[in-house]
Amino acid sequence: MADGRLPILRPEGNVPESPRLHPGAGEEAAVPVLLTRREDATSWFESKVSGALGWARANSLFQYPFVTACCGMEYMSVMCGRYDLARFGAEFPRFTPRQADLLMIVGTINVKQSPVLLRVYEQMCEPKWVMAFGVCASSGGFYDNYATVQGADRVIPVDVYVPGCPPRPEQVLDGLKILQEKIQTQRHVLHSVERSPEMREDKKRSFLGKLLAK
Amino acid sequence: MAQALVDLLRDNFKEAVLSSHSHRGDEVAVVRRESVQEICRFLKDGEARMQLLRYIACVDLLTYDTEMTGGGALASNEVPAYDLAKKAPREPRFQLGYNVYSVVRKQSVRLRVELRSDDVKVPTVTSVWRTADWWERYLFDMFGIDFIGHPNLKRILMYPEFQGHPLRKDYPTRKRQPLVAELEFPDLIRGPGPGPGGAGVPMSQTHVGRKNVDPTTYD
Ligand code: SF4
Repeated sequence: MADGRLPILRPEGNVPESPRLHPGAGEEAAVPVLLTRREDATSWFESKVSGALGWARANSLFQYPFVTACCGMEYMSVMCGRYDLARFGAEFPRFTPRQADLLMIVGTINVKQSPVLLRVYEQMCEPKWVMAFGVCASSGGFYDNYATVQGADRVIPVDVYVPGCPPRPEQVLDGLKILQEKIQTQRHVLHSVERSPEMREDKKRSFLGKLLAK
Repeated sequence: MAQALVDLLRDNFKEAVLSSHSHRGDEVAVVRRESVQEICRFLKDGEARMQLLRYIACVDLLTYDTEMTGGGALASNEVPAYDLAKKAPREPRFQLGYNVYSVVRKQSVRLRVELRSDDVKVPTVTSVWRTADWWERYLFDMFGIDFIGHPNLKRILMYPEFQGHPLRKDYPTRKRQPLVAELEFPDLIRGPGPGPGGAGVPMSQTHVGRKNVDPTTYD
């Protein structure tokens, strides 16, 4: 609020979501638990590695523009010379979801299209983030009718919403900065095995943890 | 202007043309549903030379007398609940409009066909104008008009799983038919809770002025 802007709401967000590493003012710090020295050292290293990975991931977002409607015009504007999203580390649109980290939903999502959007999202490799570009993708916008999905977050989880019909390029840049902040504060592990439930307890270590445990 | 066209129609189809009038310079001929095909054939191949079918449109007049002229529903920002028992349905309920144009004569004329709600069948004009194919599929999709003899009468805009016809006035305005299961997502403003929008209320019901909508017709 220091710069007069509304606080950024941080929802329980997208995969992979994790506790904040550096809680802000007003948020509770992580409850300290008993750690062995090795675990202490591991988590310290992990937090450093996570910070570096977050920095790298936040500044090399490869986007997949899922352009469906008139917001596409503004997308072109934001990618071109005057505003140039590439300056902020979202350089290159990839037109295959398999090579992208950031799914930009640019335009109206109607019901007939929602399976396609879901398929595109599922084809993206982890880690992945989603930006809803324009009010149509965020909430359905003024298409409050039988044909339109009332927000892309009904179909796939969305990380950042950029309102506006269409949003100004500055808003998109702002949304990208917010997303980068989110990525920076997420916990990134080199190799996560914690998600598969069938893993045995002693194997629940990250790659770095295994390396240090040797 | 195009009055000559209507006179031509009246001369050639004495029983088929029920009435005609002019609305702001547009000639309208109300024709019988059974003879729409031969009238169209006559208009295209005869001396009228109407080679271009601009569009076929449909109007549902179900709530025309109540909602449109009442004013009360328009002044309020609440979505009126569709209580058809309290509204006098209008018959014939559907009006089809065929807007045809002659490039040679630079004149257009509109044919109107009126359909009662218990019998929404009309002969196809696909054999006259090829472009009528998609217009008739569109009207079938949106209004459920049954075009007899159409070669491929199926939905053109909505997905095949869709139930009902969305532009009919008795289709619930806020009814949704999602194709993929909708996510349980947290409501950022009101916090998490049961139901799709958090706190037990669907997200789309949390908009201002829409609290009184019948939940069964809603989402
Ligand atoms: S938000 Fe506005 S500009 Fe963007 S797709 Fe929707 S209607 Fe078009």
